[in-house]
Amino acid sequence: MSTEGAGKVFFAEAIARALRESMERDPRVVILGQDVGRFGGAYREFAGLHARFGDERVRDMPVAEASMVGVGVGAAAAGLRPLVSITYMDFVTLGLDPLVNYGAKLRYKTGGQLAAPVVVKTTAGAKGQGVAHSQSLEAWLVGVAGLKVVAPSTPSDAYGLMLAALAEDGPVVYVDHKRLFPTAGELAHAPAPVPIGRALVRRSGGDVTIATHSYMCRVADAAADRLSAEGIDCEIVDLRTLWPLDVATVAASVARTGALLTLEEGQLACGIGAEVAFRVREEVGRMRVSRLGAARAPVSGNPRLEAATLPRADDVVAAVRRLIDAKANEP
Amino acid sequence: MDRRALLASMLAIRAFEDALAAHSDAGFQLYSSGEEAVAVGVCEALRPVDQLLSSGRSIGPALARGLDPGVVMAELLGRADGPCKGKGGRGHLAQPGAGFFGAHAVVGGNLTIAAGVALAMRMQRAGGIVACIFGDGACGSGALHETMNIAALWKLPLLLVCDDNGWSISTPREAALAARSPADLAAPFGIRAASVDGMDVLAVRDAAAALVAHVRGGAGPAFLVCDAERFSSHSTATRELRSPAAMDAVRARCPIQRLLRTLRDAGALDDAAFAAMERDAGEAAARALAFAERSPPTGVDEIGRDVD
Repeated sequence: MSTEGAGKVFFAEAIARALRESMERDPRVVILGQDVGRFGGAYREFAGLHARFGDERVRDMPVAEASMVGVGVGAAAAGLRPLVSITYMDFVTLGLDPLVNYGAKLRYKTGGQLAAPVVVKTTAGAKGQGVAHSQSLEAWLVGVAGLKVVAPSTPSDAYGLMLAALAEDGPVVYVDHKRLFPTAGELAHAPAPVPIGRALVRRSGGDVTIATHSYMCRVADAAADRLSAEGIDCEIVDLRTLWPLDVATVAASVARTGALLTLEEGQLACGIGAEVAFRVREEVGRMRVSRLGAARAPVSGNPRLEAATLPRADDVVAAVRRLIDAKANEP
Repeated sequence: MDRRALLASMLAIRAFEDALAAHSDAGFQLYSSGEEAVAVGVCEALRPVDQLLSSGRSIGPALARGLDPGVVMAELLGRADGPCKGKGGRGHLAQPGAGFFGAHAVVGGNLTIAAGVALAMRMQRAGGIVACIFGDGACGSGALHETMNIAALWKLPLLLVCDDNGWSISTPREAALAARSPADLAAPFGIRAASVDGMDVLAVRDAAAALVAHVRGGAGPAFLVCDAERFSSHSTATRELRSPAAMDAVRARCPIQRLLRTLRDAGALDDAAFAAMERDAGEAAARALAFAERSPPTGVDEIGRDVD
């Protein structure tokens, strides 16, 4: 897909590169949203695109998310392939009507006459910005038939899932994370799209499976490093796509380990973990299982409260140990 | 279209809805009766290359746009031969290939969509404009104000048509909108606006034609307000709270009778000719109903199709 050299890139660079290549290939791809133009995006993830493609294809919009999403969905229905940038996931709530009531239903309700190939890209997660700039609401969107939801955790997947999302014929919500933008990772010499609906085993281990996504993959990995020193080997499955969910990959791992810990930054109630755990249980039958997610509280911008609200590596270590102990206590 | 054709178009909508309402399995409907002149007058100003969007009160707009009454009836009755295979129904009736991009049953929900369609059509040099008909009930919604703002900023080829029947189900417009008239909302955005008697199809046609010329010429969006009347309650599931006397006054404004009087006074139509037109409209509605009844009910296997 890409002809640029291989090597380490930051998360934002991977997104910008996927967008640039998609826009060069397909004139229908346009970018709409707040601060996407000369400013280049809140995290520089649109850097260089306005200079390369101009006002017509990279459009700054008023801070009015209902129209950002509505215009994007409508333009998609009429033949463009827009990416709509909603700076923070909290503000997706303002654009839910056109996304949920129109875009997600369009192909179905028109009997296949119309579709809405739009990508709503937004940034979830907490990094000191307070109760209305920190939420991870991806589980809400998974509950809407007609939406696909992806959440990359590495620059390589940020690139590959963006290419795949822009090639989809229906709406995709692309969820990145504030704490992933400072991270770097390898991008292959010829990086390719990452198929939607495929999880990936990030770390192999035989004792406990941790199913997680987005920034929590890094939290899981930090915990797994510590547990490894005590002789406990965790297998980390990065879900990457939250709908359609790759249950098979998680279930295959749990079939080996016999234990599943789900880990997410959002709320536990009706969360990603609940869905993963139940569906894996349907596949593998008997297993030990536990969930980790945010405390039932808003995510304060106060750093001490924020940290106490969200799952930390310490919590993951403790939860894995409990799953190991549960095995020892089995009859 | 000459004036008799406009009359025939309104009669066709009225007869279609009367036939549907009399059907034993009519389902949940929002009727356009009383508001025919808005749809017919606006559609008269549109070209095949244009796209029309509407609220969930879609029967008048869809028929005025020229959709086949049989397939529309099939869609409304949940039959496989509807353009949406019976999956959209009245609230989401659509046939973009025929210039009807579609209804959307969320109040105000089609407005930002219409702006996006207009943007895409302009970027793709499609040559058409977009018209979006919505009720006065949408005038308090943020979606209208966001849409006017972006359409004016980007000079989108968009005609906004407020079908002002005066009611949000039970709430009168005076209790739902601070502005004296919906047309006043356009001024702060620098959008050209016009208000017409929405029961006078000739006035609607002329005003729509002038605004469409403005939009088609690239001068940006326009806003047309049509003062109309709803002849029945909001929907088939809604109580009518207006008094019989009030309803008499409403029905006295009938757009069909109004054009009939004009034509009769001009010596262009006599009673016998009008009776023949009414008969033709009734027969066309009966044919539409017969087509829909012959069409198979939408199969439940459709729930697994075109989901994502």
